[in-house]
Amino acid sequence: MILKHWWKILSVLVLLYTFTVGMLVPLNSGIESVSPFKAKTGEVLELMVEGYNAHYLETKTGITAWLKLDSVYVLPAKNISVVSNTKLKATFDIPEFLPSEKKVQDATLIVNNEVDGSSLLPSAVFITQGAINETAGKNLAKKAESMQLYQRKGMTFPYRNLLAETIRNTYFHVPLWFGMMIILLISMIYGIRFLLTKETDYDLKSVAYTRVGLLFGILGIFTGALWAKYTWGAYWSWDVKQNMSAVALLIYMAYFVLRSSLDDQEQKARISAIYNIFAFLSLIPLLFIIPRLTDSLHPGNGGNPGLGKDDIDNTMRMVFYPAIIAWTLFGAWMALISYRIDRLSLWFFDDYLEEN
Amino acid sequence: MKRILYTFLFTLVFLCNTIGAQTADSTSLMRSDGKLYVVVGVIVMIFVGIVLFLIYLERKLTSLENQIKTNE
Repeated sequence: MILKHWWKILSVLVLLYTFTVGMLVPLNSGIESVSPFKAKTGEVLELMVEGYNAHYLETKTGITAWLKLDSVYVLPAKNISVVSNTKLKATFDIPEFLPSEKKVQDATLIVNNEVDGSSLLPSAVFITQGAINETAGKNLAKKAESMQLYQRKGMTFPYRNLLAETIRNTYFHVPLWFGMMIILLISMIYGIRFLLTKETDYDLKSVAYTRVGLLFGILGIFTGALWAKYTWGAYWSWDVKQNMSAVALLIYMAYFVLRSSLDDQEQKARISAIYNIFAFLSLIPLLFIIPRLTDSLHPGNGGNPGLGKDDIDNTMRMVFYPAIIAWTLFGAWMALISYRIDRLSLWFFDDYLEEN
Repeated sequence: MKRILYTFLFTLVFLCNTIGAQTADSTSLMRSDGKLYVVVGVIVMIFVGIVLFLIYLERKLTSLENQIKTNE
């Protein structure tokens, strides 16, 4: 019995792994915010720094900080005073000239200690130059290679400013959509197999998988909207990815309306299988192509982080890929139960009709 | 069928409002702790969705069982 249902047990175990590891592994330390974010050359900058998941009070070798101007030059902090575990004040002597020709130079803040490793906040401070003298600036700044940066020990997930803990959504919201794609692909394949063989069994499986695929899609949109409320400010921003996802789901809802409008079993199966093919093929431009063509808030499009090498690292991949497989298998389990109920009803009605 | 659909939609909307509700205060529960509770809300939402599907299956099965019983 166990051997027959091995994949269901596997899906549940991997889902449990996703939930526990996905939620328990801590995030890397980061910098949540700084204040002020503007500075002028030739002045002293007193920067209040708010850290995330930081342990400024627990460091033994002390904290160091720099303002990184570009890949070569940095400005070291002349003094750091710790206010709390997650708050510190870094004082910088901004020199007269910066090694740059730009009027306003944006600087990345790097905070470093042996407990948290090094955290950075890109474009943390904007420094306005008075007079511009690039050569003098190069002499006044320090070289980036003089920085001794620590690495935090232990497994962590990356910290991204806007996302913070919601980066864990990568294990829940995203695999639902990937799982949905695979499940809808399977439903299309069963539909095609029905068209080729006219066996009702394939049609029943196709419907069952479409049902679960639609459920995953609906859950995906709702969870996405919940996340969006606290990241973009509103549940629905008429963002192109949100809109296209809604259109895709409407197309699949229409599949069920189509089925219920037809009475003859064979006609119902045939027409809905053909509709299924078009519905699935429409997912590709709707979900993947159009959002990438325009500006979208959604991660993965419009220059936002997504699955690129900077935005998901190997620690996350360890949970992300198994999660996709687990949700797909779990969805298949749900689909098969739905299919078995439909098949039972057909068996019963077939028998019943035969007796009468 | 309609009843199931309406119950499902109502529950989802209700959950959205309760889970997603926040006060005007910027340190509301959902925004605290690095927005961890948004992830918790997502997981709860997924679980509820699966439970609702389970209920849908349960009702289908029950009506099938009743049909078989009355036709025996």
